[in-house]
Amino acid sequence: MDLAMEAVEGAAKDAGLRLADVDGAQLDWPGPGGVPGEGSSWARMFGRDLRWASDSFMDNSGVRGLLKAASAVTAGYADTVIVGGCRMVTRGPDNSPVGAGVPLEFCDVWGAYVVAQFALVAARHMHEYGTTPRQLAEVAAVIRNNGSTNPEAMMYGRGPYTADDVLASRMVATPFHLLDCCIVGEGGAAFVVTTEERARDLPHPPIAVLGGAMEYHQAAYANPPLYREVGQIGRAAAIRAYAMAGIEPGDVDVFSIYDPNSFEIIRQLEALGLCAEGEGGPLAESGAIAVDGAHPVNPDGGCLSYSWNGTQQMTLKVVEAVRQLRGSAVHQVADAEVAAVASAGSGAQHYELAVLGRSR
Amino acid sequence: MTGRPVPVPGALTGPFWAAALRGELVIPQCRACGVRFFVPEPACPSCLSQAWDYEPSSGRGTVYSVTVVHRAPGPGFDTPFALAIVDLDDGATLLTHVIGCDPAEVEIGMRVRVEFSKLTADIVLPCFIRDIRDGESS
Repeated sequence: MDLAMEAVEGAAKDAGLRLADVDGAQLDWPGPGGVPGEGSSWARMFGRDLRWASDSFMDNSGVRGLLKAASAVTAGYADTVIVGGCRMVTRGPDNSPVGAGVPLEFCDVWGAYVVAQFALVAARHMHEYGTTPRQLAEVAAVIRNNGSTNPEAMMYGRGPYTADDVLASRMVATPFHLLDCCIVGEGGAAFVVTTEERARDLPHPPIAVLGGAMEYHQAAYANPPLYREVGQIGRAAAIRAYAMAGIEPGDVDVFSIYDPNSFEIIRQLEALGLCAEGEGGPLAESGAIAVDGAHPVNPDGGCLSYSWNGTQQMTLKVVEAVRQLRGSAVHQVADAEVAAVASAGSGAQHYELAVLGRSR
Repeated sequence: MTGRPVPVPGALTGPFWAAALRGELVIPQCRACGVRFFVPEPACPSCLSQAWDYEPSSGRGTVYSVTVVHRAPGPGFDTPFALAIVDLDDGATLLTHVIGCDPAEVEIGMRVRVEFSKLTADIVLPCFIRDIRDGESS
């Protein structure tokens, strides 16, 4: 709970707001106090009645949270919404169900946890297109090295890593080695969404939601991830989000996207329209995803090195994109004007994309 | 929990596990449109008909994807194991384990057939083994 409090207060302070100025809470409430899971518990902390609240953990994080908050603000249901929350490690390695923690009758018994679910997608992509373990390792090395030199990253100071280091780390679930996989941590995250009019009166230059889209194939993990069904999930959302923003894929200066493992970046390079299906491996290997590359990905170190704090890792993606567009990121992409932020999961079989830009 | 998770049969899935206990693989088939689907759901995902029955499957199929899991999610699993997605010849797709060989030998496109593996006194799992009769046809 204290992690969520710190994130919420921090986001409000950064925005130059008092909590009493906020009338919407799309926030986790883990308790104690209030009613665990009930977003309106935040009203007492804000010292005012709320006009907008949310109870679901997915609606309180990342791009889905952002787009729903932006919808509320645009429609006039609320003026200023904080989105975010926290994750604490509450379970040990005890065969707990994957994903949302609900027992899944045809999944848990097979030991199909998150890493293995994504591995089943990656393995099929490698079979069909010849994507190599080294291409995966190159992705992991680039993003991990962003975190190695980011003092805010959990893995700051570790590394640097080469692709050979990744390939030499122990196998978790083929094709993923340990260093292909994201880390696990605790932490909070939050951001503020408000009207353009109000944002202009606040200290930081506003960052605008230029476009957004969501895509859901099916519920998480109940059915196995079939590459033929979910391999390009995000492509339809990307087309819609780019059209709304009036941009082409190549106009995006920086990508802050889901990296639960190295392969998921390769898959998204394709789904986000940066290359054709099957060409993500060579594109990633070419150096394109480096901070100074053609398509910089996760300059903060991402989930592979910065942090994976449950669903709130999606919120951290928004935070990094905003910092890049403000010009205040640790590893700043030069002249970043347009950012793409994604919350995703091939294992989880959903994709949410937002295009952000400096408000003109 | 300290061991491997054990499925808890529900109203929709009881007949599936009961058949497995008898050594039979049965798959939901829609009475209205004929589509076979898995996992069992309240209605056919193709036509929304709630009229469906469990029908026998030949239990033969092809590996669509596979990962060799070296690090299990918890206790109760013997590692490494081959976690696979199998497309059944007569319809529907299952998550399963391919057993009876070195997990590293399990490949996409490999022909497999169902092989039941006892988990508890009440639960028998539909695993798969290499289908020698068909040979490999990838």
